[in-house]
Amino acid sequence: MSMTKDEIMNDVASVLRNFNGREYSGDIDSNTRFFGDLGLASIDAVVLGETLEEHYGRKLPFHLFMADLGRRAVRDIPLGELVSFLHQHLETD
Amino acid sequence: MPRVTVEGMKFYYQQAGEGPDVVLLHGVSGNMAIWPLINLMPALAANFRVTAYDLRGHGYSDTPPSGYTSADMAGDLVKLQKALGLGPMYVLGHSFGGVIALHAAVLYPESIAGLVLSDPYFPGLRHLETRVGQWSGWQEYKEQANRAGLEVTEEDWFDVGQLFKQTANLPAERYEMFRKELGIAAMDRLTRLAATTCGDDVKAVAGLTEERIRSVRHPALALYGEESPFLATCRYLTENLANCRMALVPKAKHRAHEENPPAYVALVQKHLREMAGIAQGHCMGGAA
Repeated sequence: MSMTKDEIMNDVASVLRNFNGREYSGDIDSNTRFFGDLGLASIDAVVLGETLEEHYGRKLPFHLFMADLGRRAVRDIPLGELVSFLHQHLETD
Repeated sequence: MPRVTVEGMKFYYQQAGEGPDVVLLHGVSGNMAIWPLINLMPALAANFRVTAYDLRGHGYSDTPPSGYTSADMAGDLVKLQKALGLGPMYVLGHSFGGVIALHAAVLYPESIAGLVLSDPYFPGLRHLETRVGQWSGWQEYKEQANRAGLEVTEEDWFDVGQLFKQTANLPAERYEMFRKELGIAAMDRLTRLAATTCGDDVKAVAGLTEERIRSVRHPALALYGEESPFLATCRYLTENLANCRMALVPKAKHRAHEENPPAYVALVQKHLREMAGIAQGHCMGGAA
């Protein structure tokens, strides 16, 4: 499977636009921050990981993504970094 | 999304690894995401089958209006154990999660293999803790709350229910202020719990008296931040439980797992391996 980052960004945005019954009507792009902008909780990151695994029909090493997030001084992440993570693992794994 | 239903209530959980069973319990107003965030879950999965779930009223689990005492939630734990087919469990609980873990050892001794008590404070040992109102974590929260117009005093640290209620009943503009101070997700958590008996339930002794606490004979670890506000409890457990060791996490207060994750993970790994009789061999790095 070879996808561009733009395609992956579109997938992530469409999942987040209506995520587990919570609608988000603002712009979603690679600068949108997961916690600060979308107002999501840490547990949403876990569930988003599962949702994306279902979407792509494969296991992805989200524990690496979570541990990286946990090491940050400011625990937030722009969606662009999630897209890069997905791009890397959808390419190589 | 992995969920297990016990008595009509759905619990969100995650599982990783193979080996003896370890179950991880977060504290009040937290969720299970903390365990992958601090890398504890993958680290333990090298030796154990690790199950982490959202307590009732938290994360992606259901929110019943009542039943939030340590006795109720110890019941959830063993029912979930049965539903998932887990063997005797090593239970790590942080803060109130530790109260639940110890209460489960009292009520269902055969279900529990060992305990890691991560900075719990026990309503049944309240008399030991006289200086908690001055704890910096509480001071910080109190300042946030006061800036947003909540009347929170030094004594209220114990009264989570009062806090939930005040939060839920703030006038709209104050609510927005507080929400900005605290963050949207945190605010949503408090509002959600305010609609339940959680706040009052977690300060109830609920049968976990000092006598019962002292009666626990399971292998246990009292794991506290070296600057925890609850060090009197830590000493008490170490001195009074038949089989309880103590470990302090350097450079940490009440939330050692977040304040010093590498040291915390290394200590948990070391002690759980010892309890389970697993040789200290292939360490996954991240030593203190």
